[in-house]
Amino acid sequence: MGIDHFIGLGIILFSIGVIGFLIRSNVIVLLLSVELMLNAVNFLFVVFSRFVHGGSTGQIYVFIIMTVAAAEVAVGLAIIVNLYRRFRTLDVSRVNLLKG
Amino acid sequence: MIEQIIFWLLSTVLILSALGTVGMTDAVNSVMCLLAAMLALAGLYALLGAHVVALFQIIIYIGAVMVLFLFVIMLLDLKKTMKLLSLRSFSGGFGVIFVCLVGIIAWLFRHAAVSVTETCGLPAVFLTRNIHDIALALFSRHLLVFELASVLLLVATIGAIVMTRK
Repeated sequence: MGIDHFIGLGIILFSIGVIGFLIRSNVIVLLLSVELMLNAVNFLFVVFSRFVHGGSTGQIYVFIIMTVAAAEVAVGLAIIVNLYRRFRTLDVSRVNLLKG
Repeated sequence: MIEQIIFWLLSTVLILSALGTVGMTDAVNSVMCLLAAMLALAGLYALLGAHVVALFQIIIYIGAVMVLFLFVIMLLDLKKTMKLLSLRSFSGGFGVIFVCLVGIIAWLFRHAAVSVTETCGLPAVFLTRNIHDIALALFSRHLLVFELASVLLLVATIGAIVMTRK
């Protein structure tokens, strides 16, 4: 159970988030995939601050990223609510207002 | 030894619930799977000795963000999503997973962190001074980032209110 296991776990988590962001069309699941990626980055910050740096500076960054993620979710969900009011759907492939 | 078992258990739960987040057709089930993933991550943070991060993970992500997601899904009144029949078939499994994860996290907070600290070669004082160091660093060296984060939260709150107003 060295640093390699933890890094591999973080990479797998990030990859699942990226794949989910690319293949899904439900806008709520897109936001959840972004959350997954942010959590993978948080996890890697904690792992590196634990194994490499040995201090607590990485955990400060984790708190900042959590704050940014919370703000992003608040604004993103507000956009989703507006999107649903306007289009009556959550399928991003049917939101084509900017399509030429 | 027991830490390795817990690591593999939590990793399995984490990857499976992340795959469930991406793969579930129902948005409520996706949110529930992500909730399980957050709990598993909190357990891994506790295993790594970052107890403060584990607690903040539970409070912020599970207590605020996931509830916000569920609240918006409820607010949107999706006919397919709000038909909670598909959730009910999963709810027993979700309950068992959540109870097991909370048990593991509580056990880690009590026992495991010190022995992991010994195996990783870090001094035991690292754990007891962890929250002390974080508080000192957050309010002295990273004070500007801390204040910027609070301003960001204020802006996001006002923005969300303005955008959702009819």
